[in-house]
Order: sequence, then C-alpha cells, then structure tokens
Amino acid sequence: MARIGVDVGGTNTDLVLECSKGTFFHKVPSTITDQSIAVVDGIHQICDIAGIAKEDIEVINHGTTVATNITIEHNGAEVGMLTSRGFRDILHIGRHKRPHNFSLHFDVPWQSHPLVKRRNRIPITGRILPPTGEVETPLNEDEIREACALFRKRDIKSVCVGFMFSFLNDEHEKRAGEIVQEEMPDVYLSLSSQVANVIREYERFSTVAMNAFVGPQSALYLRNLEQKVRDGGIPAKLRVIQSNGGISTIDGCAKKPVGILMSGPAGGVLGALSEARLAGTTNILTVDIGGTSADISTIAGGELRIKNPRDTLVSGHAVMAPMIDLETIGAGGGSIAFLDEAGGFNVGPRSAGSEPGPSCYGRGGCEPTVTDAQVVLGRMDADKFLGGDLPLDSALSHKAIKEHIADPLGISVTDAALGIIKIVNNNMALTIRSNSVARGYDPREFSLMPFGGAGPFHGVALAELVSARDILVPIAPGITAAMGLLGSDLQYEHTRSVITNLFTADQAALDKANGVVAELTDCGRLDLDADEIPEDLQNFEVIAEMRYHGQGFELRVPMPKGGLTLDNKADVINAFHAAHKQDYGYSFDDALVELYNVRVIATAKARHLELAKLPKGASNDVENAFMYERLTVFDDGQSHVTPRLDRGKLGAGTRVEGPAIIIQHNSTTLVPPGYSAVVQDYGSLRLTKI
Amino acid sequence: MPKDVATIDPITLQVIRGSIETIAEEMAHVLFRMSFSSIIRESEDLGAGLFDTEFNTLCESESTPMHIGSIPGYLHGIQDTLDDGEWYEGDVVVHNHPYHGSSHTPDLAIVIPIFHKGELVGYSANTAHHIDIGAATPGLIIDVPDVYAEGMLFAGTKLYRKGKRNETMWRFIRNNSRAARQLVDDIEAQISSARLGVKRFNELLDQYGKELVFGACNQLMDYSEKMLRQRIADIPDGEYRAEGWLDDDGRNRGQQLPVKVCVRVSGDSITVDLTGSAPQTPTAYNVPFEGSTKVAAFAAFRKLLLDTATSDTRVPSNQGSFRPIEVIAPKGSIFNPISPAAAEARFTQCNYMIDLIMKAMAPVLPEEIIAGSSASISFASYAGVRESGDYWVFLEVNEGAYGGRPKSDGPDAIDNLMANTRNNPLEDLAMHIPMVCERYELRDDVMPGAGKYRGGIGVVKAQRMLTDGIITHESERHSNVPWGIFGGTEGAAGKCDIYNVGSNEAPEVMHSKFHGKEVRKDDVMAYYSPCGGGYGSPLERAPNKVLDDVLDGFCSPEHARDVYGLVFDLEAETVDLAATQKRRKEMATAS
Repeated sequence: MARIGVDVGGTNTDLVLECSKGTFFHKVPSTITDQSIAVVDGIHQICDIAGIAKEDIEVINHGTTVATNITIEHNGAEVGMLTSRGFRDILHIGRHKRPHNFSLHFDVPWQSHPLVKRRNRIPITGRILPPTGEVETPLNEDEIREACALFRKRDIKSVCVGFMFSFLNDEHEKRAGEIVQEEMPDVYLSLSSQVANVIREYERFSTVAMNAFVGPQSALYLRNLEQKVRDGGIPAKLRVIQSNGGISTIDGCAKKPVGILMSGPAGGVLGALSEARLAGTTNILTVDIGGTSADISTIAGGELRIKNPRDTLVSGHAVMAPMIDLETIGAGGGSIAFLDEAGGFNVGPRSAGSEPGPSCYGRGGCEPTVTDAQVVLGRMDADKFLGGDLPLDSALSHKAIKEHIADPLGISVTDAALGIIKIVNNNMALTIRSNSVARGYDPREFSLMPFGGAGPFHGVALAELVSARDILVPIAPGITAAMGLLGSDLQYEHTRSVITNLFTADQAALDKANGVVAELTDCGRLDLDADEIPEDLQNFEVIAEMRYHGQGFELRVPMPKGGLTLDNKADVINAFHAAHKQDYGYSFDDALVELYNVRVIATAKARHLELAKLPKGASNDVENAFMYERLTVFDDGQSHVTPRLDRGKLGAGTRVEGPAIIIQHNSTTLVPPGYSAVVQDYGSLRLTKI
Repeated sequence: MPKDVATIDPITLQVIRGSIETIAEEMAHVLFRMSFSSIIRESEDLGAGLFDTEFNTLCESESTPMHIGSIPGYLHGIQDTLDDGEWYEGDVVVHNHPYHGSSHTPDLAIVIPIFHKGELVGYSANTAHHIDIGAATPGLIIDVPDVYAEGMLFAGTKLYRKGKRNETMWRFIRNNSRAARQLVDDIEAQISSARLGVKRFNELLDQYGKELVFGACNQLMDYSEKMLRQRIADIPDGEYRAEGWLDDDGRNRGQQLPVKVCVRVSGDSITVDLTGSAPQTPTAYNVPFEGSTKVAAFAAFRKLLLDTATSDTRVPSNQGSFRPIEVIAPKGSIFNPISPAAAEARFTQCNYMIDLIMKAMAPVLPEEIIAGSSASISFASYAGVRESGDYWVFLEVNEGAYGGRPKSDGPDAIDNLMANTRNNPLEDLAMHIPMVCERYELRDDVMPGAGKYRGGIGVVKAQRMLTDGIITHESERHSNVPWGIFGGTEGAAGKCDIYNVGSNEAPEVMHSKFHGKEVRKDDVMAYYSPCGGGYGSPLERAPNKVLDDVLDGFCSPEHARDVYGLVFDLEAETVDLAATQKRRKEMATAS
C-alpha cells in the first residue's frame, strides 16, 4: 500500500511517495495551462522511481493553487448574481471601510476588481422578513428568467444567488436556484445559504460570489484531474487539502472551491509543522518561497493558527471559510525585477512563473527574475539545476539583468543582482514581521524555516532581517508542502446560525439547536462515509459559537455531548463566561448569553508520514560530500570560492562551516561565511551564527 | 523622561515599534470584540493607545482617524480636572468634557495610569463613541442651547480610586442614560482594553527596561516628525487659500456658514489658519478645538504627504506626525467655540476643512490632491421606546464618496476622509432593533462628477422604523456640491427624504441637519450621500471605461454621449473608437 502527496506550485509540481520500500521525493515542472498534466506525469514517474505498481497507490492527497491563482490574477469566471431588489450593490459597498486610514490614493479591491460586475448583479423582487424569516413578498420568478436570458446573452456560465435574510429562510434562494438550473442547465450554481449559511449579508454574499468566481475553473480542473488519474489506471482515492489544513473529496471541493483557496499554502504549513516537531522546535516562522509567491506563517507552541472567519480576506474580498492563518506575497524565484516609470527599482509581484519562466530557463522569458540573480551571483550552478535535469543558461540571466536593470541604473550586473535579492528579501521580511512581531511574537524566540525550492537561498538573509533565533532547513525543502499533505487528517466543517437566547430557552428552543447540530453532524457523517471511513474512526467536534446578547463577535465553547438540556445549559453559559474572561479579562456575569452559530467539525485521523532517523555522521562526511567548488557572491557583496556539498552524504550531527553551498536534488542551501549548518537527527539542517 | 539615550539599534527599534503597535491593536481589538453597541462593535468608532507622562502619543490603533490624535487633548484636560488632583495606582478615569480637551461629549475616554515599579510612567487610554449619555434627545443632538444639554459631563472623574470601584459614580451613570446597560457595559469593555494596555506595556518595560523602551519611543516620534518635515520642505513656501460654505447650523435655515482655510508653508512647517471662518453657532454645530479641529488638520497632511498606499515606508502613528503642523482658529469661531456653546455635532466641519485644504494645495500638489469629495458625514440616531418602557437607540454612520484622483476614479460608497468606520450589517441590525432596511445601493438618481477620472458615487440608504420614534441626523452638502478639478465637472449634492411606506403623500424633503424629528411606524428616512467631483477633462477618459460605466449603470447613455463624447452601440456593448475620437475633437474645438 502506498500514499502519494502531490503539491502544485506556480513553477514546480512536487511529489512524495510513501510505501513499504521507503519515502521517495520527486519534482516535475508545473503545467500551468492544465495543472493535471504534470500531476499525472509526476505520479507515473514517482511510481517508477520507487519501483511500485500504480495499483498499489491507496490515496493521493493533492494541494492545488488553481483557485488561489484565479484570485491573484483576477481571471475567474464572468459571474451573474441574483440578489434582493434594493440591495444590488452590497458587494460594491462592502463594509464601507477604506483599507487605509491615511491615504488619498488607496485601491479598493472589491470595487476595482469586483467578483461580479454591477451589470451582472440583477435585483429580484421577493422579501424575507426578520427576525422570523417569514415571506413578506413572494419571489418574482419571471424576473429570474429574464435575468437568465441576459446571462445567456452575455455567455455567463456561473451564477450565484445571494438574498437578504436567507440565513433565516433559504426557500427563495433554493427556488431561484431551481429556476436558474432550468433556464441554464449547464450553469455552475452557488447559493449563499449553502456556501456560507451565516448572518451578515456582505460577508455571505462575498463568499458565495467568490465561490462562483473560482468555481467553474476549479471544478473543471478537479474533475479533469480525477478523470486523468482514472484513465492512467490509478485506482487510488483522490483527495484535496483545504485551507484549514484538513482534506476533502474531489466532489466536495468542486462544489465548494471557496474552501480550497489556501490549499497550496496549507500543505506547506503542515509540512513545516511536522518537520519542526521532528527537530524538537515548537516556535517557527515558516517561509514557503515558490516560483510566484511566498507564503508566510507563524507557528507558536507547535499549534496551527486558524483565522477567525470574520477576518479572512482573499485578494481583498471577505471569504467566510476556515483557513490557516498565513499571508501570501508576490515574491518568489520567478518574480520579475523591473524599473518603474519613476525609476523605482521593484521586484514582483509579477512573475515569470514556469512558462516562460526565468530568463535562464531559455523558454523565451527575457525579463530578469530573482532566479536569474541567483544564477548571476554564482549560487545556482547552471549546469546542475535539478541535478542537471534542467540545465540553465547563465548568459541569458546576465543579459536580462544587464539590459533591464544594470545598464539603465549605471551599475554592475553583480550589484544589480544583489539589489534584486535585497529588495525581494526585504519585501518578505516585512510580511514576516507583520505576521509575527506585529502580533506580539518576538522573532528572537523563533526559528525561521525557509522552504520551497528557493527558500534555503534566502534563509539566513531573512533570519537576519527579522532577527530570528536560527534557521531550520527541512529535509526536502523543495517538497515540504507535499510532505505536509501526508500529515493531514480528513476534516469537514459545517456551520449554521441558530440564534438562541440561552437564558430564556425552553427545551423546545434547545431542541431546535440540537436539531441543527444533528443535521450538521449528518452532513459531516455523509462526508466521512463517502470517504469510506468506518464509523468507529469518525470523530465529531461540536462547537457552540456564543456571545453576550448585543455583542458583535462570538467565542467558541464546546457543546455538551448528547446535546443541550435544561440541566446542562447553565454549564455552557458558565463555560462561555470563563472563555470571555480568558480572552478579554472580564465577564459580564449578569448579561444575557446567546448561542449564535453551531459548528460541527467531522474528522478522521489519517496515517502520518513516518521518517527514519538519519545515521550518525562520520568525521570525514564533509570531505566525502565535497562535489566541486566555484566562485560565489554573498549578500555582503564579497566573493568566495565556495565548496558545493552533497547533502545526501552528510550524516546526523555533521557540522558545515560557511561559506558553503549544500546541494540536494530539489533545493540548495546557502551557508554564508560566519554561519554554520548542523545536520539534525531526522536530517534537517540548523544554521546558526558562529 | 530620558530623552538622550544612545541611538537604539534598528532591530530593537523595530521590535519595540512592532510591540507597541501590537499593544494598541490588541487594545482596540478587545474593545470592539467585547462591546455591545453597534457603533463600537461593528462600526469601530473608537481609538486606543499608549501615552507618556507628557501626553505624547506613543502608538495608536488603526481605527477611525477622528479618534487618532485626539487622546492627548483628553489627557491635558484630565490634568487640569483630576479627582484628588493626583494619580494613584489602580485609578480609572472617565473624561469627556469638550472644554477640557475632549473630541466631543459622546466620545468617552477611559484612562488608566501606568505605574512601573511604583513610578508613574505613562497612560493607557482609549476613546469610544457611546450611544446615549443622557443628552436632551436620544443619541445625537444638534439644536440644543448649550453644552449642558449634551448629557453627562465627566472631567477627570475616577471610576476606580486606588483599585476600588466608585459605586456611587457607576450608579449615577446608570441612572442618567437611555441606554444604561449598553453604556455601562461598553465602559467596562473600555476598561478591559485599557487594563490590557497597562499589562502589556509593563511586560515590555520589564523585558527591555524603561530607558530603552522610552528611548525607542522618542526615536520613533522623531522619525515620524522628520519624515513629515521632509515632505513639507518639498512644497514651495507660500500661502494657499480656499473657501466654501456649510449649509446651516441646524436651526437658522438658509444661513450658510463660511469656512476659510489658509495653509502657510514655511520651510518644513505648516500653519493651518482658519481665521475668517464663521463665528461659533448657537447650536451644537461647533468644533472643539483641541480634540477635533487640530486632529482634523493633522490628519489632512498625513493623508496628503504620507500616503500609506503610495509610499514604501510606513510612518509610525505617533506624536511626531503632529509636531510640524500648527493650527490657528480664533476663539469664539466655529472651530474654537467658547463655553458654554454646545459642540457635539462637529464632524462635517472637520471633513469640509480637509476638503478645502486639498483645494488650497491644488496648484502646488496637483499629483497628490484629489477633486472635491463628499467631505461630509451622515450620522443618524434612531430611537424609540420598547413595550417594556426601555429605550432603544441606534447610531448609524453612512458613507460618502471620494473625488476623482490623478490616476484613478474616486472610490464609490466609502467612508470619507476623517471617517473610517464599518457599516452595520443590515441583517444584524434587524435582529436587534425594530428597524428594517428598505434600500442600500449606489445612487442612480444623479451622476458623479465627470472627468478623466470620475468622482465616486454616493449611496442611498433607506431605513424604516417599525415603531414610532425619534430621528436626529447630522450631515452636510445639500447646497454645496463637491467641486471638479483640472477640467473635471462637479459631483452631486446630498439629500434626505422622509416618507411613510403606507402613504401616497410626497416625501418630506429634509435639511442636511435636523434634530429630534418625531416619526411614526413605517416612516422611512432615505439618505443620499453627495457624489465626488471629476479630475481632469472627461474627453480624456479611456473610452472603454466610459462604456463599462454605462453598462454598469454608473453613467447614463446620454451622459456618455454628451459629456464624454462616447460613440457606442449599447445592444452590442461595443465602442466605436474612431467615431469617439472624432466626436471628442469636435467637442474640444466647440468649447
């Protein structure tokens, strides 16, 4: 039995295979126009490398950036929206708060890049009234059919429905959905009461609109991938990692891609966490540097942080879906360096990706990238990239930097390349700080973990910029996210608003809430059943999201096993007072307490990746690992003849002093002068200042 | 205060900066997460920060700009009025007196002294807008005779003395508000927030030592000051003037009030002189000088010269950014009233002053300034009495729109200039208050200012009362339209109607400010915010952007043809570029 983790990045597709023969890593270039090509090719190749039959693969866990990239590049579906008459512009107004207090020239992402253009937001007559959810004005079905005719004329393939107060009564949304499906049989349909059935119109509408925006392409990709896997004779179950770090089915994700917007980065954070555990470190700043972007996260005390759904923004749009707390910036190996109109020297966020890729790839890209700078500085050996699988052309890197940066600025190519590195590092450091220092974490108590193929080039520079304690380079930095995919559990979350005053609630009111819990639990059970998880391995965590009556934010309290009763409701209320005191330092002991949402998290433990300890190193490991040496320029501008060491030949406990470059198939670690690298028990490298 | 410690290394400086900024954000976070009234918890009409013993702002939360920079005024006022005449460890003070430095009376400050190893080293403080402090009418006020009609006035009042709760004061407060429960619980939230600030700052002092922390804070203030002074130095010395009119004072209809702004640039300093603006009014339509007038002038230049969206470096939010700017407003004027003039309704004057500062600076900062914005606010209080006999009160801030900008359109439907609250979710509102929203959309009854970059579009919000009640509304610019600039056309004025859903009578057209209006069940107040002016000639606007605006309903087909010179096929949704070019040439020649 074998399991595969496959993580698609902007530049490369990474694979990990775990089977009785051991753990295998592999990397293939991503195929951007259709990510599934590289995924399937990679699966075939890694099976060959491991020497196993495809039939032996039990599970494939997949991390994908398909949905994320759509939001970054603003190239999702043209979406049509049916919304309540009188409320056509909820998505345009948002929460009417500017992203900047002190600015006149700020961008308003929900206005400059709307998920649904105003012309395609069609108001429909029909009204649900609060607080009961009664129908005041019936739904005008003719208007819906007219809207569909307009959508057809505009060749719209994705439609969302967001009506006011649908969290109280979803019958209008459901009926509208039926009509849309009659009128437009092939439509990709999203209902706000199904995608995010919670109070607050803007956040709910924005979430459903995002689902509609990324939905068609994401679903097409996932179904296409599933088909290709089947056609390739691979019987394995295909799963996708969600933004919250749990895994889900293809079908679930195709219907609700809003849950996988952070799929790719989530794998990285999980991988970093498991590496950190192996190295006995609990405080880490993770920096996952890919070709296009860098994902930055803080793990304190060995715990993943999940964002409050009220705080989750994706490309400036509110999205109420559980996500690991991380930040993404447009800085990676493929980030393009350019001089702007005013002569400003910028790097990214525009990226050359893997097609055409950096200039040195020789695939037609002629703008200089961060990777080109590394090549020019002699840190990436053009003839040895990916073990020589993909030779690079250093002359092209030199030419691109000279023409676009060095000559216009009147500086040397080396100085221009150093400038590119410095700027991209600074951009990343600012984001690391905002994710750590700005949240009250002292980076001096944290190890910086750089990964992604290009990560360990930047590790020491970033650690110095943010004052991290040391640097921990994972076992296979290029493939950490894929490894994380094998360390994840199945996880499905279902939530619904069920506003109940717990003081006045009688058993009937409590039973209503219990009924919602039962329904949500059934949803979770269906999810796990579909995964063929036996009943005794299914776990359900039931959470009450509560607040004092009149407050605007909820705190989480566990629901009692067996549901709410008149006997145990006081315990729940007291647990809430305690949680409030814990978080805010005060509790309003005589205020009314209300249950607001219930959330059911259905989980099933998956087997985690097991790694063996590395054998102890011998005294001559460094000599044996020596491959060759070349002139390399470090960040301080000094050049040193620097040895290249084969990481695979360094045993546990071996110490390497800089300057050195430690090479493995999927990554290169830069050890500058003044730093040493020590191989840890499970194979990670710890870099510290000497 | 140790001012001259050796320069602190950049990493430590950065860490301390991050730490104090985080403390301020955490304080604000606790305050709005914990509070009950929607004006605090949803709109985030609050500010929080840390201050030294000389009342310098060390850091402040990124909440609403009107609060940012106002707390030093409160601290000076408390100094003059403090119970016992001195601070004790464990004191908690409430303060809102507009003639002792407050921003305006509903913004209560909670201040807790920070004692470190027995020595007073600074203050942890926050301000938040409360929905009812027992003024003449529920919620907001405008047409009142004096400051004593604004409700409870607190001046250096201790709610806790040496850690002991002053129960008499708490009972007094509870007995003097229409929304006593929310008022008292929200004050508790403010206290929790300020206590967190004390705790966190003490932890920081323990970790790094007092000398180092305050040394870093001073260095950060100097840095902010230097950044702003550098930008000011780039502006040619001189006097830059602009003037305009406010609708009225909320009582004397048809009597417009002049606002005159003179910006004097001299080297790396600026003086904002408001001399010549209207005398103080007999209503509450006056601006407390320390807590509001100065704060607005400081904010204007932070926006203009330290734009956080366009500059690479983020300048810390502290006292340093106030130092290069002096503000002059003669005593007895609308921007510096004399007691006992009421001064609660002060927002729109501040925003209008900022708009005029932009206009004044247009000749020398054409790439920084923007066309005329809504530059008002719509601040409404809705109230009624429940069957139980208890009052309900709801405060709502409605957004405006920006003027066209040198490189982009003015943002639509967004809080303007000094305002930056969040709207109250309509679904949340309707679950708590006997009101329901009838309409919340962009305005489609008028066009925003045309230009190469058009003005932003205002909103229409129509709120319906489900019981009888009382509405007070503070707004502006029903008569003075936001201006266009550099060839852009003017925007559109605001308006406000009240009508009853069950009646066929024509809507009642309201003044921009009205006070204590009694309304019936099913009465609807529909507010239309002003639209921004355009920047640059409409004939230079990219034709496809004009077509987009037509398709999206932001621009009528006639307006596109007549003002933008666009030739297009509406059915096919295409532009005829050649014909447009030709038509635009003809229009340019004709004018």
